[in-house]
Amino acid sequence: MTIAPAMIETKSIIKKVDTSEGELQILQPISFTVKPGESIAIIGASGSGKSTLLGLLAGLDEVSGGHIMIDGEALHSMDEEQRARLRGEKVGFIFQSFMLVQSLTALENIMLPAEIAGLSEPKKRAQKILEQVGLDHRANHFPNQLSGGEQQRVAIARAFITNPKILFADEPTGNLDSTNSTKVENLLFDLNKKSNTTLVLVTHDHKLAQRCQRQLHMDAGELTEQTKPLKVVSGE
Amino acid sequence: MSTVFQLAWRLFKHEAKRGELTIILLAIVLSVGSVLSLSLFSERLQGALTDRSAEFIAADRQLRSRELVDDDWLSKASEFNLNSAYQVSTRSMVFGAKELALADLRAVDANYPLKGSIKVALQAFGVPEATTESPKSGEVWIDSRLFQLVQVELGGNVDIGDASFKITKVLSEIPDAGFSVFNTEPIVLMSTEDLAKTNVTGPGSRVSYKYYFTGETSDLDDYYDWLRPQLNRDVHRWTSIEDDDSAIGRSIARAEQFFLLASLLAIVLAAVSIAVAAQRYSQRHYDPVAIMKTLGAGKSMVQRIYLLQICFITLLGIILGVTAGFILQQVVVMFLADIVEVSLDIWHWRPLAIAIFTGIICSVLFSLYPLLQLFSVPPLRVLRRDINTTLSSKVLQFSTSGIAVFLLMWVYSQDLMISAILFISGIILVVLLLGVTHVLIALGRKLGSGSMGSWTLAWARIRRRAMGNSVQLISFSITIMLLLVVLVMRNDMVEQWRDQLPEGTPNYFVSNVTESQRIGLEDQFAQNNVTGGGFYPVARGRFVAINDEKIRTEVTKEDAEVANEGRQGLGREANLTWGTELQTGNKIVEGEWLDSWQEGEPYPLSIESQIAGRLGVKLGDELTFNIGSEVIKSTVTSLREVNWQTMQPNFYFVLHPKAVENFVPTYITSFSLDESRKAEITSLMAPFASVTLFDVDARINQLREIIDQVSMAVEFILILVLIAGALVLIAQVQASMDERLQELTILRTLGAKGWMIRFSVINEFLIIGFVAGLMAAIANEFSLYMLQTQVFQMEAGLHLEYWVIAPIVGALTVGFLGAIGCWRLLSLNTGELLRKMV
Repeated sequence: MTIAPAMIETKSIIKKVDTSEGELQILQPISFTVKPGESIAIIGASGSGKSTLLGLLAGLDEVSGGHIMIDGEALHSMDEEQRARLRGEKVGFIFQSFMLVQSLTALENIMLPAEIAGLSEPKKRAQKILEQVGLDHRANHFPNQLSGGEQQRVAIARAFITNPKILFADEPTGNLDSTNSTKVENLLFDLNKKSNTTLVLVTHDHKLAQRCQRQLHMDAGELTEQTKPLKVVSGE
Repeated sequence: MSTVFQLAWRLFKHEAKRGELTIILLAIVLSVGSVLSLSLFSERLQGALTDRSAEFIAADRQLRSRELVDDDWLSKASEFNLNSAYQVSTRSMVFGAKELALADLRAVDANYPLKGSIKVALQAFGVPEATTESPKSGEVWIDSRLFQLVQVELGGNVDIGDASFKITKVLSEIPDAGFSVFNTEPIVLMSTEDLAKTNVTGPGSRVSYKYYFTGETSDLDDYYDWLRPQLNRDVHRWTSIEDDDSAIGRSIARAEQFFLLASLLAIVLAAVSIAVAAQRYSQRHYDPVAIMKTLGAGKSMVQRIYLLQICFITLLGIILGVTAGFILQQVVVMFLADIVEVSLDIWHWRPLAIAIFTGIICSVLFSLYPLLQLFSVPPLRVLRRDINTTLSSKVLQFSTSGIAVFLLMWVYSQDLMISAILFISGIILVVLLLGVTHVLIALGRKLGSGSMGSWTLAWARIRRRAMGNSVQLISFSITIMLLLVVLVMRNDMVEQWRDQLPEGTPNYFVSNVTESQRIGLEDQFAQNNVTGGGFYPVARGRFVAINDEKIRTEVTKEDAEVANEGRQGLGREANLTWGTELQTGNKIVEGEWLDSWQEGEPYPLSIESQIAGRLGVKLGDELTFNIGSEVIKSTVTSLREVNWQTMQPNFYFVLHPKAVENFVPTYITSFSLDESRKAEITSLMAPFASVTLFDVDARINQLREIIDQVSMAVEFILILVLIAGALVLIAQVQASMDERLQELTILRTLGAKGWMIRFSVINEFLIIGFVAGLMAAIANEFSLYMLQTQVFQMEAGLHLEYWVIAPIVGALTVGFLGAIGCWRLLSLNTGELLRKMV
């Protein structure tokens, strides 16, 4: 039996920041692996370090020590340009505050990663995925003309357009009401399942976390425990 | 099209449509528009004024010669597409029926004058009217004075040399007559065809030749390039109106410097507005850059996208700016058409090139630092919104902006002095402001605490902003300072011009007045209610030695004329006066005035400082003059600065009365007679037939007219700069208002009352405007002092009134603009405000 290589593998990663009182270690050595297609939730209270960890895993920030391997590539030894390439090729993002470019339409926002990655027919791809998220009628609307739920659906569509191997989601429902939250959650997990993407989700919403296959608990910059969900919540 | 181009174009297109580029576009449009309209207007105006001034040399260029020049030189001129004319002048006796007088004989060809016109009158001292004719063969036109001197009538005859001529016109004025109250004979104008038959230009006579040329500047320059190797410095002199150092020449030169200054300031204003707008543009794009980087865009891709965007914005800004500037300038010129003779037909390419160059340089150089900041925004900002940019170097920011401004000013003005003065003033202002910023922080700490009121909020914001963004205070101050510089320069300059010719400026000069006539004239003036100037004794003396060393290099009359057209200075003979009272407009710059002389000391002498410099004369030197057969020696005890701009007799040398007590002088005086009383002049002067009368009304009117035109043009330039400045202030307030949006929204959401927010913003702007105004007034003093003393050669003084006016007007203007901006924001409901923040 062959063991599939890990999609994400961290070994003793730490993060230190400079403050007026000197250097401060905000992330204690953390090690874990995530298998391809697996969904994990990083949960913890505000300030526990979960977003910092997400930033490091996604290559948005540099580790102060330790190793991170993403799909077999050593992220920890990459420079900014190499990390940008890796993000463009293998990673998708969803953020709490949607992070859409305000001066581009919904369709153009979705096209953006495909264009940056140099994929063919970005518009066709974007139109197709916009249909999948049910917003084809809003293609030419600007973000400030869309509701919060619609904006997050556009962001989800943008995240999936390049068929990323890993999807990082930072509190994807944090800015939404319960109805929209449910819609967005379902859409996220549906697309994730269909595309067999590895999902790393940061949240303090335990209900949402339980939809993932595994949960990493963070507290004060430390990974305190790894748990499996007690039961699979349908989300309906 | 590449992905990068597509992305850049898409972003540009949408942002332009959504009005997100308005501020930076407006800044570029403003810079290009104001530079184009100012430069184009001032270039056209300068063209018009130079053309007007060319009348004073009767051509665009003049070649003066002591010898007849080669015919080939004139035929060559026509090959260079130039028009030419010539004049031969000499002195000769003119004989009337009973009397004779020495006259300034001018023989002109039919083309004379090429610029300006000959003016004639129906009777002696009558109202002059321009004529396009010139004397025909056998005719002469003679000066009003000559009618008195040789006792002739219009239509009568005079003899000159071997020929007899009929007097057909009273000559009032020829364009290049010059002006001198000393030793100027009345002019007789005749045709060059008749000169030979008079036989007055034979061997031994002093004949001078003037050749006049008009044409395109490039043709004139080409011709001069051809001619120059053949010119002999001792014989020939090539002159243009730019060489004119007369009152008019100086007024125009100053006006040109003012236009240059105004245009330079417009460039700096534009640069400030672009710097502010570019900063704001950059900050608004932090999120998109972070998003693009997160989605996989490398730094180079982001750089190319935003550099292309800046190119699109610059291009659009330049197109709109050129259009706006052209329309504005055209409107101004059309409005001014009746007052200033500015031609709309001539198109000048230089202003267009300068405007486009300014737009490009400003956009590129002032966007550089904000763009570098933008490029350095880390992708992590998508998770942590508090992260802005990793690049923060005030030194880099100020040095790139500073170098850009200085280079732009220098390249544009090609005047290191003006550029350096303005630049150093700017640096002083920035340093002052940084100091003030620290004081504000300290004040804010005290005043910003306590119960929450509108002032408390205002101070708290200033404290925070003073630390984070002193750029805004600096840009307000620079804008106000530049406006002050232009305003005060204009006021001082126009005031000094007008002071040159106050009401009651003498319009008649009388010379060759004997002692007995002097008493008679004084009585005559008193009886006829005529305001006369003082009587100055005059004697002509030959200046022969300095410290008993004979003068080898003669300072010729021509030199004096070139240095100060129309005012005869030191030649073979100098006009000497004496007295112990310092003349109006004279100032001792070194040594002591003659009245401190005591019996037994060598006789003192006062010399004009510039001529002293030319002659190498210093205090303590003994100068020797020959007056008649007498030798006069006097020691230089003072150097004087003389205001040559005043219409009064001025002298290079003033002796002590004791040194010349054996001489019987003649006197010179001046008086003013209203236009309405002009007819009285004949009866007024009738008892004094032997004195020489000069009517300088025409000259004064010309001067007044030109000064009025230039003043009017200066006013319009001022208005243009003020409009540009006002727009910059609006852009600045607008930009900073957006930065306040978040705070206003939070306060509003938390339920703060509208009036409190409104007053807190207004109070904040009032404080900023007040401080900016005060700082601007201080920096203004420095730049004005330097500009006036080093560039404009004017008297400098403190402008304390602006120390009060500038802070008040600054506070009110900035406060008012803040109030308008605030009103717009607070008219939105909380939901709309929140949506704007996204």
